[in-house]
Amino acid sequence: MSIRTRMTVVLAGAGALALLASCAPAPVAPGEVSGTLTVLDWAGYDAPDFWIDFQTTYPNATVNFEIGASDADIYSKMAAGDQADIFHPYTGWLQFYVDEGLVEEIDTSALTNWDQVPDSFKAIGQINGRQYFIPWDWGFTSVLYRTDMVPTGVDSWAALFDPAYAGHISMWDDGPGAVTISSYVHGYDETAITAEQLEAIKQEWIAQRDLNLFYWAGEPELIDAMAGGDVWVAYAWQGAYATLLGQGIPVAYANPSEGRNSWVGVYGIRKGTTNLDLAQRFLDAKLAPATGNNVVNLFYYGHANQAVMSGITDATLVDAFSVNDPGVLERTNFTPNLTADQRDAWTGMWAEVKAAP
Amino acid sequence: MLDRRPTFWALTLPPLVWLGAFFLTPLAMMAAFSTRPDLRGRLMDPWVPSLHQYEVLLSVPSYGRLLAISAGLAFVVALCATVLAYPVAYYLAFRKGRRTGTLLILLLLPFWTSYLLRVTAWKFILGSSGVLNSLLLYLGWIREPIEALLYNRQAVAITLVYVWIPFAALPILAALQRLDPSLLEAAADLGAPPVRRFLRIVLPLSLPGVLGTFFMVFIPTVGEYVTPLLVGGSRGSLYGNIIQDFFTKAANWPFGSALSMVMLVTTLALLAVAVRVVDLRRFIE
Amino acid sequence: MTTAPPFRIRIPALGIYYVGLIVLLYLPIAILFLFAVNAGTVLAFPLKGFTFDWFLRLSESTAVLKSALNSLGVAAGSSLVATLLGTMVALVLTRSPFRGKAILFGLSVLPLIVPFVVLGVALLLLFRAFGIGLSLWTVAIGHSIVALPYALLIVTARLAGFDPRLEEAAMDLGASYPTTIRRIVLPNIVPAMASAWLTAFTVSFDEFALALFLAGTSPTFPVYLFSQLRFANRLPVMIALAVLLTLATLALLLLAERIRRVE
Repeated sequence: MSIRTRMTVVLAGAGALALLASCAPAPVAPGEVSGTLTVLDWAGYDAPDFWIDFQTTYPNATVNFEIGASDADIYSKMAAGDQADIFHPYTGWLQFYVDEGLVEEIDTSALTNWDQVPDSFKAIGQINGRQYFIPWDWGFTSVLYRTDMVPTGVDSWAALFDPAYAGHISMWDDGPGAVTISSYVHGYDETAITAEQLEAIKQEWIAQRDLNLFYWAGEPELIDAMAGGDVWVAYAWQGAYATLLGQGIPVAYANPSEGRNSWVGVYGIRKGTTNLDLAQRFLDAKLAPATGNNVVNLFYYGHANQAVMSGITDATLVDAFSVNDPGVLERTNFTPNLTADQRDAWTGMWAEVKAAP
Repeated sequence: MLDRRPTFWALTLPPLVWLGAFFLTPLAMMAAFSTRPDLRGRLMDPWVPSLHQYEVLLSVPSYGRLLAISAGLAFVVALCATVLAYPVAYYLAFRKGRRTGTLLILLLLPFWTSYLLRVTAWKFILGSSGVLNSLLLYLGWIREPIEALLYNRQAVAITLVYVWIPFAALPILAALQRLDPSLLEAAADLGAPPVRRFLRIVLPLSLPGVLGTFFMVFIPTVGEYVTPLLVGGSRGSLYGNIIQDFFTKAANWPFGSALSMVMLVTTLALLAVAVRVVDLRRFIE
Repeated sequence: MTTAPPFRIRIPALGIYYVGLIVLLYLPIAILFLFAVNAGTVLAFPLKGFTFDWFLRLSESTAVLKSALNSLGVAAGSSLVATLLGTMVALVLTRSPFRGKAILFGLSVLPLIVPFVVLGVALLLLFRAFGIGLSLWTVAIGHSIVALPYALLIVTARLAGFDPRLEEAAMDLGASYPTTIRRIVLPNIVPAMASAWLTAFTVSFDEFALALFLAGTSPTFPVYLFSQLRFANRLPVMIALAVLLTLATLALLLLAERIRRVE
């Protein structure tokens, strides 16, 4: 172990040196920047569309992708010593990276696109008062429903528990997501769920299984089931809404009285990376407009660059992001960060729901 | 009879070394990992071993119950797949003509198309507005679409049997192919009717293949997780799904390891019982 | 496949059964074909209209083809190792009386019991502990382990009951044991080894759980497919590729059959 500790010290030292080097005013022409970056990202983000600005600005740099299947997967891979330079967690799953010393603080002064990011988003990437992450993609979670099957409309998250839609409801396969919804419905404080409340939540979701057709894992699975008419009411992100709308399926995206949920995807740099300078350049390019426009137009996700969002003209997207409804963000609940205890308790609760008789 | 030591060791050592390095060692690490109290701290750092994960596991009866259900389902699936695969193997072994190899590959070829995509398509056959329901409605055999074909545990079992049949045919085929045709000829010459020839000669001699098939299907099906995920619905999860979730959705590797160890030991115990019942020596000797 | 037996059984009913099974197995692929030429992004009936767009878009993506090649390489290598090691174990188990037989058999089929995700994580820990970088090699090692039991079970089924007197006779005539294996035993188990190899190849080619943990930055086809499945608008392109792959393999198979018949 002592050897490994010493190695860590040496690596940390190297990291500090690299940090110093990156602060030094040594302007390099972008075309001369070379090197290889490894990004641990979610499936789909490896497509060059989503880092097109980096590709065009730094043609001599190489980017490799490792694929993570979920927030938990990405976190445990990083905790297991993954050597990726950059990784992509979402709100809720940020705190432990800092607690376990897995993430490097970001030098925002080096980011040319940083001014385009609204302060409310910047704050999401701050842990313990320091900017460890840069916000990148964001979106809503709400109830998506078929207007032909649910003519009365949906105005509450409680629709996911409504026996009227038995056999036609689909929930996302996720424990923390389930706790969030129950908290909205019952007015629990999401950051301070008690053991009794968690037990009640568990029983509630066990009972909900009789109404729920299946738990969706990937968006296409949900989209196909809604288009085919098997699912009428679902927990969904706005991407599913925009896709179905684009295909002419009669769907609507609820504005629940409890408020929508909103999530933000952020990028972090691994502590101890030897590629700090290149990693910062990558993150800066991630915030640039061409990349942002691709995120909006191809995936129907929001982007942290304000100029990109205010440039949206497509009617479906305007609707999906409620661009014309300035009040919607005030009625939106951002996902708070989980502690390690909450993570273990909530995911364990969900496993018990799925295993229940 | 293979008592010549050099040959024995030349054949035994490579598999032993390979399995030892890339299977037993990681498995032992996994077992050790299940004694971690949690996933905090660096993964490789030492920890104080505890049975905490096993205590949690035992305190939730649903997990043990689900393991029993999964083993039961695996048994049924293995039985059905073996029975249904036998005729296929029989056909391939004894049919006329020389294209047996081609017919065999034809059987396995669909497996080169992603299972994920094939099951997605399978859902269009069984779904409430799917091919089967549309056909039955069109024919007037049913009035309402049958919704029970998907998103429950029966659907999981049916889909599993369906995907296993081609693989299940292989050990049986291998056993049938070594059958001495002169035995059957002799039996026929002595006037034994076909059914008796089959029951008295073919079936007993192909039993090693049948047992091989059964175990080849049963063992991995106990830990199956993909099929329940795709067609199981909210109530169709198997034990393998819970394991999968703790590794990929919960970042709780120690608990996932403990769940795996329990399944491993249970399956081994079941196999030990099976060996006593069916006398596995008949299979490997 | 082996020496033509003089004894034949007339089995038309079994032929119908076989054809029925083939139809069931290829039905989902036929449906995939429909979606591959369907104009809509969403997979649902009724179809939206005919298009070849998805196939055309395939050519834009070299990453897809690269991942397919990765999978081919991994499957070819791992299935070879699994078949060789599985055959070795099968030979020892069926030809040699020794005490640890049950243990060797148990050890060799044990990988079947361990869920792929568990073995994937366990191997990841192992490779991390010894500082071995993730690559296609690490995936192939994992696949060789999970495919070994299949190879073993298939070859054992062929070897069990294989008349040992044949070998004794050969050795009485002065052949050494390795020669006996090469000249007498191997020719008899080649068909089973081919089945075993084919199975091991198939297991590897569509394996996802292990590859997700062990592939590092070179995705295999199932991992790449998974990455494309996250967003609905990529699905039809992947279906087009899957259909294309299946048609290509089918065509190759029929071609091989044709050539053989001409000969």
